[in-house]
Amino acid sequence: MAAKDSPLKQFEIDPISNIELGGYNISFTNSSFAMLITVLVITLFLTLTVNTRSIIPSRMQLISELMYNFIAQLLSDTVGDNGKKYFPFVFSLFMFVLIGNMVGMIPYQFTFTSHIIVTFALAAVVFIGVTILGFINHGIKFFTFFYIPGVPFYMHPLLIPIEVISYLSRPISLSVRLFANMLAGHTLLKVFAGFVVSMPFFTGVFPLAFIVALTGLEILIAFLQAYVFAILTCLYINDAYHLH
Amino acid sequence: MPQLNPEFFVSQLFWLAVFFAFLFVFLWRVSLPRIATVLEKRQNKIDENLSSAKELQEQAMEIEKKINDQINRAKLETDEKIKETINALQEDVSSQLSSLDKDLEKKVSDAEKEILKSKDDQMKNINNEIANITKLTVGKITDIELSDNEINKVIETHKGSFN
Repeated sequence: MAAKDSPLKQFEIDPISNIELGGYNISFTNSSFAMLITVLVITLFLTLTVNTRSIIPSRMQLISELMYNFIAQLLSDTVGDNGKKYFPFVFSLFMFVLIGNMVGMIPYQFTFTSHIIVTFALAAVVFIGVTILGFINHGIKFFTFFYIPGVPFYMHPLLIPIEVISYLSRPISLSVRLFANMLAGHTLLKVFAGFVVSMPFFTGVFPLAFIVALTGLEILIAFLQAYVFAILTCLYINDAYHLH
Repeated sequence: MPQLNPEFFVSQLFWLAVFFAFLFVFLWRVSLPRIATVLEKRQNKIDENLSSAKELQEQAMEIEKKINDQINRAKLETDEKIKETINALQEDVSSQLSSLDKDLEKKVSDAEKEILKSKDDQMKNINNEIANITKLTVGKITDIELSDNEINKVIETHKGSFN
């Protein structure tokens, strides 16, 4: 499937150093390297720009503060005061997905958010965490989350299974949304990049122009998907606090 | 599709867990508190400045009120002083006028008296002249020597007619 010129070749994982632990292959791969770059970028940026702790911020410090306030605002709008506890987690999630997407926009750089296993793991952490949180807050009453008040009683046999299925499909929709967006965008870029090379004479400039425009769109999507991931996490946390 | 190849699933999950856990702990313990401190510090500074500005404004308003009070008081005082001065001047003028009137009256009455006195003197002189003239005339015409008393008596009786 992954032939030499396949647009999917960019998603192939190449081990940089082979590591094995307890019989499992935990090689440090290009995907791990992208994660390392992502984590380094985030931690260094957020640490160095706020290093002076000046009241009148520099431009770079302002960016860090903007991100902080952006997620803090998002969390307080959706969850309210209860949400403050989860701010570090939601912020980490947002930054990890956002910078992971952005690092993927660098040519020849691997995009770890285009791998379903990575996005699914992140979504699963959110899903399991929120479910545990719901049971901590409401105990067994958390099951009334699937019961929608104000609906005729004969509708419940139909609605409760729908609610359960929609609840259980949350991690899938959350992870597939991000994974599919990244996969589609990068594949499209690669396909049009192939056109630039293969089209005769100067006609290659048309797909090239398209790639330039598409790169802009992809950067927008990279931000948008990180935002969607964060806001959905906030909404799920809110659901763990407020039943119907 | 390489994404569905389970060969590197464990590796991916392992490194994801490592890096994300590191990122989470680092942001939670280091980066975010730092930004929060800065934001808090700034908010405190803003609040401080706002409250001090409010205080200063209040002070300014108080001072303005004081100034207005003083201006009003000064106005009232000035008005009173002006009134007082006008009254004093009027009194002065009226007293001076009245003293002037008195003076004039006195002068007039003095003059009247003098006139009367001189009139009387003149009348006496006239009487004497008349008496002399009468004495001479009667003496020349009739050779009768009239005494002064007789002449005066006659003049006294006729005084009313030419007075």
